Amino acid sequence: MQRRSAARLGPLLLLFLLPLAWGEGPEPPRAAGELQVSNRLAGQAARVALHYLNYRLGSPSALRALGQVRKATVKTIPEIGHKYYLQFTTEDYKSSQNVGTCLATVFYLKRKPRPAVNINCTYTKDQKQTREDDYSFYKKMRQQTKPITGNDIPDSYGNIEPALEPAWALAVAGSSYLMWEKSTENLGYFMAQVKNVKQWITKDDSIDFDYSVVLHEIPTQEMISCHLRVIWTPGHPLKVKYFCLSENQRSEFGEGSGSESGSTNGIFNEEEANF
Amino acid sequence: MPPSPSVHPAQLKMKGLLVFAALLAAAFSRETFVGNQVLRIFVADEASVEKVKELEELQELQLDFWRGPGGQDVPIDVRVPFASLQGVKIFLESSGIRYSILIDDLQALVDEEQTQMIYHHIMSRSLQTFNYASYHTLDEIYNFMDLLVTANPNLVSKIQIGNSYEGRPLYVLKFSTGGTKRPAIWIDTGIHSREWITQASGVWFAKKIVDSYGKDPSLTSILDNLDIFLEIVTNPDGFAFTHTTNRMWRKTRSINSGSACIGVDPNRNWAVGFGGAGASSNPCSETYRGPYANSESEVKAIVDFVKSHGNIKAFISIHSYTQLLMYPYGYTRTRANDYQELDNIAKAAVTALSSLYGTQYRYGSIITTIYQASGGTIDWTYNQGIKYSFTFELRDTGRYGFLLPANQIIPTAEETWLGLMTIMEYTRDHPY
Repeated sequence: MQRRSAARLGPLLLLFLLPLAWGEGPEPPRAAGELQVSNRLAGQAARVALHYLNYRLGSPSALRALGQVRKATVKTIPEIGHKYYLQFTTEDYKSSQNVGTCLATVFYLKRKPRPAVNINCTYTKDQKQTREDDYSFYKKMRQQTKPITGNDIPDSYGNIEPALEPAWALAVAGSSYLMWEKSTENLGYFMAQVKNVKQWITKDDSIDFDYSVVLHEIPTQEMISCHLRVIWTPGHPLKVKYFCLSENQRSEFGEGSGSESGSTNGIFNEEEANF
Repeated sequence: MPPSPSVHPAQLKMKGLLVFAALLAAAFSRETFVGNQVLRIFVADEASVEKVKELEELQELQLDFWRGPGGQDVPIDVRVPFASLQGVKIFLESSGIRYSILIDDLQALVDEEQTQMIYHHIMSRSLQTFNYASYHTLDEIYNFMDLLVTANPNLVSKIQIGNSYEGRPLYVLKFSTGGTKRPAIWIDTGIHSREWITQASGVWFAKKIVDSYGKDPSLTSILDNLDIFLEIVTNPDGFAFTHTTNRMWRKTRSINSGSACIGVDPNRNWAVGFGGAGASSNPCSETYRGPYANSESEVKAIVDFVKSHGNIKAFISIHSYTQLLMYPYGYTRTRANDYQELDNIAKAAVTALSSLYGTQYRYGSIITTIYQASGGTIDWTYNQGIKYSFTFELRDTGRYGFLLPANQIIPTAEETWLGLMTIMEYTRDHPY
C-alpha cells in the first residue's frame, strides 16, 4: 500500500529526499531508473551479491566471480535506501569458465550496516564434482596431524602453490562474508592476498583455519589487513569471525554463522521482482 | 617461488668482452676459425639439457661453449669447429633438439674485423634471451633499456627527464625515425608501483615496437610520421620498494613534512581539479594528493617534458587492474568537449583488444566508469590540449588483482597492444 503511493509520488519525493539521504560520500545523487551497465555502481552491486553468494554457499570449489552485468536498474526507497536490480553472468573463480547467470537484488540500507541481498543463480558446473572436490579437501585437512601453514598466497609473482590452493579458496569464501559486511554503495572490496594461513587441528568434525588477509578497498585504494577465523564442515554454513585494521587504524570486527538474513528470508518482503 | 632466471645483462657484457678478447687473442695466435659455426641450441626440457651436457663431456669435439647449458628454456650458444659440425648436428637432430645457426662463418666475421658485429651478436643475444614472461627488478629493466638502445641505435634513444625523490633517474625511451619534434605519442606504465603487469607490459611494448618497425605496415607508418615516447618505470622509488619491502606500495616515496606517513599518489598530483573531491588531503591515505600540484618530481618531470615538447598528440597512462579503458574527466561529471569522439575511439580500441583472447573491457569517462578522481594525469594532459588522452586499467578483474601471474604478462601485453595500436593509428590518421 505504502509502496504504491510511494511509487506515484516517487519522482517528487526523490527531489526532496535525495540530498538528505546521501549527504556523505563523493557520489552526487542520481535519478532512479535504468543504469548503464558499464556503470561502476552496477558492477559493484553485482560483486556484493556474489560476496554474499560465495559466503552462503560456503564451498571453496564452487566460488564464483563476476562475468558481465547484463542489466541493471536502481530504485530509491525513500528514507530506506537504494535498491539495485541486477542480472549478470558469473565465472568459475579458478577457471574463469562461464558457470551461469544470476538475478539479484542488492539493497543498500541507510540504517543497517550491511546490504541486504537476494540472489538466485543458474549453475552449469557439475555440482557432484564440486561436492567431491570440497570433500577431498576437507578429508585431507582432517587427516593432517601437523597443521598446514602458508605465507603470501598468491606470492608477489602471482603464484599459488597447488597444495595451498584449496586453503586459499576457503579464505576467499570466508573473506566474502567480511567483504559483504563492509560493502556500501560507495565502498567495494577485493581479496588481494592471504598473508598467512594456519590450520587449527580440531577434535570435532570441522576444519579450522586462521587467516591474515589483505583486502583492496575501492575507491580509497587502501589495503586493509584483516584477521579471519574460518570454521567449516562441507555442506554446512561457514562460520567466520573477523577483525580488521586499516592503515588509518580504523578497526572493525564481526562474526557470521550463516544465519544472517538475505536470500530466502529477506528483511523486506518484496513481492515485486520487476526488472 | 623465485622468478625464472634471466641472465644479468652486466654479466653478459663481461662474458661478451672475455669471449671477444679470446677471439682476438686466438686471431693473433693465428688460430683459424675457418668453417666454424656458432650454433644456438634450444632446450625445451631437462632431458635435452642433459643431452647437451653429454656433448660438453666429449673433449675431442673441441666445442667452445659461449654460453653453457643452464636451465631449460635458456638457449645454449656453442662454437663448433668445422671437423665436429656434422657430428654435432646429427646428434642434435636425432635427439630431437632444435638449433639454429647463429653465426655461419665465424672466420668471415673475424676477417672483416667486424668486432662490433661480434659484440652485437653477444649483446643482442641478451635481448633475445630476456624473459618477457617474468617480472623484473628495476635494475633489470634499466639494463633492458640500454640493450634495446644499443641494438637499435637508429630507432631508439634513452632520455632522462628528471630524477625521482630518492634520486633515481627517470628514463623515457624515444622511438623515432627522424624529423624534428614530430607529433608524438606518449605512453607511461608503472606510475603506481604495485601494478606490476604495467611495467612488464611496457617492456614488451618496447620490444614490440622495434620488432615491428619495417615489418608491420601500420606501426611502420606510425613511426614514419610520429615519434613514440615510452616511460616504462614512471615511479622507480615505489617500484624498488615493492621489490624490497612492500609489494602493495602504490605511491611515491617522498617524505611528508609533519607526518610519519610516506608518499603521494602520483595520479592525484596533477594540476587539474587539484584540491577537489576525489583525492585525499591525508598523507597516510593511498590517494593523498600531495601538498600542492606537481609536488612530486616524478610528476613534474613529465609536466616539464610535455610542455617543452609542445607537440604531443596522444597520451596514454597505463594502470591495473579491473580491465577498463577511460578518457577524461575524472574530477568532474562535466563531459569533455571531445567526449563523443573519445568514446568512439575507446569503443574501437576495446573491440580490438578483446579480439585476441576475448578479454572483456568496459569503457567510458573516468568518473562514470571507475570513480571520481581529482588531480589525475589525463585530465591534465587533456586540458593541455592533448586531445587523445586515455588511461587503461589492465588485467584482471579481481581474482589476482595486483598479483597477476607471470604467465599472463605476454597475453595481456599482446591484447593491450592491439588497443594501443587502434589509438595510435587514429592519432596518425587524424592530425590536429
